[in-house]
Amino acid sequence: MTGMEPEQLSATARSIAFTRRAAIAGLGAAAAGLLLFGPRPRDDTPPGRVVVDYWEKWTGSEGVAMRRLVDEFNATQDRIYVRYLTIGAIDQKAMIAIAGGAPPDIVGLWNFNLPAFAEAGALMPLDDLAAASGISRADYASGVWPMLMHQQQLWGLISTCGSLALYLNIDAIEAAGVTGDAVRRGPQTIDELDLLHERLLATDTRGRIERVGFIHTDPGWWSWLWGYHFGGMLVNTTGTQATALSPQNVAAYEWVRSYPARHGVEALQLFQSGLGFYGTALQPFLTGQVATTIQGPWLANLIEAFAPGLRYRAVPMPVEASVYDPDRPVGLLDGDVLAIPRGASQPEAAFEFMLWLQDRQRLESLASAHGKNSPLYDASRGFLDNHPNRSIDVHGQLANSERAFLFPRVRVWPRYVAEFDAGFQSLWQLRKSPEAMLRDIQAVAQSALDDAAEMRQLRARSDAS
Amino acid sequence: MATVLRENAGWLWVMPWIVGLLVFFVTPLGMSFFYSLTDYNMLEAPLNVGAKNYAEILRDEVFWKAVRNTLIYAGISIPLTAAVSMAIAGLLDVDSRLSGIVRLCVFTPTVVPLVAAAMIWLWLFNSDAGLINALLGLVGIDGPNWLQAQGWAMSALIVMNLWSIGQAVVIYLGALQNVPQALYEAAALDGMGPVRRFVHVSLPGMAHAVVFNSIIQTITAWQVFATPYIMTEGGPDRSTYFYSHYLYDNAFLFQRMGYASALGWVQIVLIGLCALVPWMISRRLWSTR
Repeated sequence: MTGMEPEQLSATARSIAFTRRAAIAGLGAAAAGLLLFGPRPRDDTPPGRVVVDYWEKWTGSEGVAMRRLVDEFNATQDRIYVRYLTIGAIDQKAMIAIAGGAPPDIVGLWNFNLPAFAEAGALMPLDDLAAASGISRADYASGVWPMLMHQQQLWGLISTCGSLALYLNIDAIEAAGVTGDAVRRGPQTIDELDLLHERLLATDTRGRIERVGFIHTDPGWWSWLWGYHFGGMLVNTTGTQATALSPQNVAAYEWVRSYPARHGVEALQLFQSGLGFYGTALQPFLTGQVATTIQGPWLANLIEAFAPGLRYRAVPMPVEASVYDPDRPVGLLDGDVLAIPRGASQPEAAFEFMLWLQDRQRLESLASAHGKNSPLYDASRGFLDNHPNRSIDVHGQLANSERAFLFPRVRVWPRYVAEFDAGFQSLWQLRKSPEAMLRDIQAVAQSALDDAAEMRQLRARSDAS
Repeated sequence: MATVLRENAGWLWVMPWIVGLLVFFVTPLGMSFFYSLTDYNMLEAPLNVGAKNYAEILRDEVFWKAVRNTLIYAGISIPLTAAVSMAIAGLLDVDSRLSGIVRLCVFTPTVVPLVAAAMIWLWLFNSDAGLINALLGLVGIDGPNWLQAQGWAMSALIVMNLWSIGQAVVIYLGALQNVPQALYEAAALDGMGPVRRFVHVSLPGMAHAVVFNSIIQTITAWQVFATPYIMTEGGPDRSTYFYSHYLYDNAFLFQRMGYASALGWVQIVLIGLCALVPWMISRRLWSTR
């Protein structure tokens, strides 16, 4: 009971109702005001131009370099306007955008995304457009064109590429008293690399490792590639059979296993846990804790940023002695591709921008800014002379080598590599033998390949009916 | 018209929520069940495969590993969190000028973003330069390699989970303060010591809070993702590869949205079954019937 008379209650109710009405009206007015006069997204798009939406993964200086080229293109145009947008986890976002029917006109993917996107019909084949424009395989480094192809069709054009090589921290190596061929030409075979590693190995008074010559877990991004340096591969040429359990791969992972077996699992774990993160001044190659490391040419940008005076050199990653051939070095060629998604609203205009970018000067300026090698068959003298990486010729040689290898061109690669990453860890902890690890990986990979083939057939049958 | 509006005003007011529920929850739930019966990668039309995904789940070694890891994590971290939270709640249930500050200290970590917390703990657990091993070193213990050694990585994640027990502590504290003082006085008169008073008076008095927290933590444990994703990436050798991480990888990394949808439905069933455990224990221990 409130103790109020009915008239008083009614007045109070009226007052509350009025207050509520006033509050709702006030909120409504505020909302309407915001809608009418509130902030608007800024649109710099010049009127009357065809807008091409371009999603790219790069941030920082790499993103700035691409944006500069986009601005240059836009300044030369009165018909097309490229709207550049940086997107994280671009493969996943692109997949969702394509599935949702609202894709960009150009998407900057990693080259290992192409098989999955292409097989799913998520990209537009570019063979006809490329043929009409006059660009061809011969313009590019020998490893580049296969990176853009899948099942005999062209799915993208290159933006940048980088091959992997072994980097030597000359300061750290010389400080350890190692001179001669090890520094001058670098190790060429796995045996020479092991020898260099042993000579550079340093421990403290308690026996804890302070420096290694080489370690497979730095940077630890490519657990799967060691077999290629022993003459192995992970899938057959048609992409239907997993070949993880080949003798060459077994030999390669015997070599990998020899490191924890020789130094002890815990000793290596302790050493690894004390290493700084990639992309910081504490990166172990820069501090000399890991005197040689497998990396791409972009490492030069990090050296410039965090250890500008560091003396370094890159050489092709050593291979098993029977595989060694100085004229045909072995190395992974990685790359970024520009593709036109299915359902893009302006595919012709998008291709025009992609084609504009294929000009030597533009590709090389982008490569130079990213610290990468030229994707073209013959890099210009100016590019090589002014490149931030003083070993860029080695990366160029690798990109043109007939034994440069790519990420396996199969749709199920993400599953395959996930098995490799997990298997590698068990090997590194001496919990599995190389054969057991590779047998398990092979089983999962083959099952995934078979499953993908079965689904492909079912889909074809379903489409036909 | 006015009468119709007045009579249905309740429905009108809740309609935005109902529409949201239908569009953003019920429909995706139904679609995910449909996708769980298909081969679907988001880029191609879903292809009906019947119960193939569910059958494959049963044969999938990684699935069983993820289930095992999640059960170990839940089985250790839920009782541990309950014990530590109750202990802290008990300590806070005293009138002191410091209680407010201690409560603040206990609750604050729950508002720290998970990613930031994970980065901090990444350094704390660093075996070479981390604070935890440095402190262990002071008492002559050679600390383990927390995040890279098999066995220790799971322990590290369980320890880290204790960092955010603030909400559980608040709930236990509230429940503890609702236990009638007269019961404690009667128990003391009957000659019960502090331990027996806790077991026979406090614990039954907090039973509803224990069940609530345990169920919430069971659900949270089955959904744990960000912390191991950042700190261990599921390693070493998948020893911290949890269910939600595996589901995420299948959906977005392997482009197996159909299989991931099936994993999601199995996850719902598993959560339901696991959530029954604390409820049944509480019924057996503290039932008043």
